[in-house]
Amino acid sequence: MQDDAPIFGFNAAREDIVRAVVSRVVLSTKDPLLALNDAAYHETKRLEAQKRSPEEHKELAEWQRLARALGRMDDGERREKLASFVEHIGWDVAGNFDPRVFKVSSKLLPPIVTYLLAPRTLARLARDPRRLVSLSALDDKVRVEGPVEELRELSRRGTAVYVPTHLSNMDSIVFGYALERAGLPPATYGAGKNLFTNPVLSFFMHNLGAYRVDRRIRHNLYKDVLKTYSCVLLERGYHSLFFPGGTRSRSGGVERRLKLGLMGTAIEAYARTLLANKERRVYFVPATINYLITLEAETLIADFLAEAGKGRFIIEDDESSRLGRVTAFMRKMFDMQGAVVIRFGKPIDPFGNVVDERCRSFDRRGREVDPASYVKDEAGRVTLDPVRDAQYTRELGEEICKAYLRDTVVLETHVVAAASFERLRRASPAGDLFTVLRQRDVVVVPRDDLARDVVKLRDRLVELADRGGIVVGGYLRTASGGDIVERALRAFAGYHASPVLAPRSDGIAIVDTNLLFYYQNRLAAHGMAWDVIAPPGMPPARPPVFDKPTAQEAAQGGAS
Amino acid sequence: MTEHKQAPSVGVVGGGPWGRALATAARRAGAEVVLHSRRDQKDDDPGLSVTVDYAEVARARLVVIAVPSPVARGVLRALGDHLGGQHLVVHGVRGLGAEGLETVSDLVREETPARRLGALGGPVQAGELIEGRPSAMVIGSRFPEVIAAVTRAFQGPSLRVYGTNDLRGLEWASALVGCLSIGVGYAEEAGAGPGLLAALISRGVEEAARLMAAAGCEERTMFGLGGYGDLLASIALEDRPEVVLGKALARKVPLEQAIGMAKLRVEAIPLIPRIARFAEERKVDAATFRALSDILAGGRPQAMLDRMFSG
Repeated sequence: MQDDAPIFGFNAAREDIVRAVVSRVVLSTKDPLLALNDAAYHETKRLEAQKRSPEEHKELAEWQRLARALGRMDDGERREKLASFVEHIGWDVAGNFDPRVFKVSSKLLPPIVTYLLAPRTLARLARDPRRLVSLSALDDKVRVEGPVEELRELSRRGTAVYVPTHLSNMDSIVFGYALERAGLPPATYGAGKNLFTNPVLSFFMHNLGAYRVDRRIRHNLYKDVLKTYSCVLLERGYHSLFFPGGTRSRSGGVERRLKLGLMGTAIEAYARTLLANKERRVYFVPATINYLITLEAETLIADFLAEAGKGRFIIEDDESSRLGRVTAFMRKMFDMQGAVVIRFGKPIDPFGNVVDERCRSFDRRGREVDPASYVKDEAGRVTLDPVRDAQYTRELGEEICKAYLRDTVVLETHVVAAASFERLRRASPAGDLFTVLRQRDVVVVPRDDLARDVVKLRDRLVELADRGGIVVGGYLRTASGGDIVERALRAFAGYHASPVLAPRSDGIAIVDTNLLFYYQNRLAAHGMAWDVIAPPGMPPARPPVFDKPTAQEAAQGGAS
Repeated sequence: MTEHKQAPSVGVVGGGPWGRALATAARRAGAEVVLHSRRDQKDDDPGLSVTVDYAEVARARLVVIAVPSPVARGVLRALGDHLGGQHLVVHGVRGLGAEGLETVSDLVREETPARRLGALGGPVQAGELIEGRPSAMVIGSRFPEVIAAVTRAFQGPSLRVYGTNDLRGLEWASALVGCLSIGVGYAEEAGAGPGLLAALISRGVEEAARLMAAAGCEERTMFGLGGYGDLLASIALEDRPEVVLGKALARKVPLEQAIGMAKLRVEAIPLIPRIARFAEERKVDAATFRALSDILAGGRPQAMLDRMFSG
């Protein structure tokens, strides 16, 4: 653990940071009238559209008043209004970080979980936290993989931007825990405002370095403040965490297209350290968070199917807001080895080059390259150029998506879901997605047949993994088809509200087709499951061929 | 000796006719040019500095690659030792990679540390550049500064430079136009009249645009100067290598011999069957490319012409 990471001094620096953000945003706003009008328009629209609290009624009235008054103000008054409004946003966004709370809570995660399981133990916990500290209880349930040593070394030399995949509201907690487990300093991150109001999760959100992002606010000044805030933090060496997918993956699939806005601030931050003659290199760490079961799977996939891709930004009332579901999820997590796997990928610089543990950049042929050369103009001067940086970031996004594919960790539920879903497809060969999904509790697969399908798919996944295209863990590599099916059944059972797969006398009944779709989607982009979730404009991955014999089977003369 | 001179503004890699033509055009527009050539050739332009040293070329910030696609990887790897993030690397290679259908700029990204990349396209021909006859060229890059630098280096009274940000689209369009130009030469020689020729070109362009969409490019790039514009030039350009090759094939000249007649390397030959396969995989209707593929495989000319039109 590095106690000298900048975040431990965050509270002292907070005011300074907000002031820097405010002055930079105000200075870069060329037309205050336009900016304030835009804000008034979007805020009025937002507040009018929703059920309002008395507080928000007042807010709405203020915006309406401001919109009327703006035209009559002179430039000085407008600038003043702008400055005070930007400052208001700045403080609303700025997070908190209490190192004491951080230390206690990162150590306390297991006891907190214990509390969730049996609330009465909290009293004991409060008297003597250490008695209940048992980090090792989670060790084999939550696995942390990847070049951890290298990342530790790197975090002393440069500024990390962690960019994991995003499936669940548990992600930021789980990822924070993974950083702690890996001996890496905590990272600051923008958490949706709804997480701060979520009765279950808010405990973790406060005081752990999160800043608040209100995704309902759509105007440009707000976005400017967020980006500038993120940039200033990076410039000052705060390690950051972004979920570049933007929102939780509704389909359960690995992100194939990213929201680049916040990521793009990394190059500006780096260029600014160069301009200030205080070069501090920035590096990205792609990571995957893989769940045997996902806390909010039911809500997310329902949302995906309801709006087919136009996922709602905010879901206020999913499973993560219900204590019972979080408890059940935690219990499941404690029950299953390797229930969550966080895998850090290889670090890369903002220009897509590989980075070594000393924060040196190397191109794909292993030649060292100076990252500063990418932000210099023809006269060799470092420049800030948002258009240029947006292009670099776009290419970086493609690199990160490739890393996601390589670092996806296949778990038993994904394989069994993909094999079951393939059975469903075969039961209605010409069917579109919704026809296939309608076959709830219709198809029963003999256990041996399903186990055989699972082994075929597993073998194909292992082939892909050996080429570096995905990660297949030790258990999955060696287990029998029957054992893999058993483990998936055990993972599904007792957490999801209704059975996903139900053991019957004549085999295994495919019951919750939506959830199976959700879990098989994790392998869709790899071409290892039916890919109907490719983003618009992107060709779907080629479907797996279940009937083609694997190389091994072919050698044995087609044993199946 | 050159160390004391001011750094050249443009480096061109490739001593073949295309590389020399580009070097000449940049010189005409007032740029200080250094040309990398492995051929020991006497030059009629005393102002052009020629080198065999990649480090010399890399002294220029803007480097233009004009080598045949099969050697591109090796050249880029060697050149890459001397490049950095400050370089703007642009290529004028018509063709897509042999392994997959990767573009040459994908190769540049793999083999060099340069990231600010671009590609040249459009109807302009080597001969026009050498002689200074008016023509038009397209630079595709996602980086405005690359478009600006190429425009500065090449634009003059006899060469107009247009920019597009669909780099990948331009690379695909150039490669597909190379394929379709063979068809144009073939059809002309096989006796197609203006109506049939126009129909073939329009259909071919339409198919190419669909293929490009399937490959993640912008369709409209194919309908612009780098696609349609480039292909239209094939009608008039008797000496365009692809056209020469197409005509020879229509006269039932064997492929090997036809390649010899085309003089310049025709990148489209290995590409056509791969494009036909790609179309099949992605379920894109591309009858023209299928017919071209059959022509290269030695199909009967008249039957092929019929199929290009009816298939």
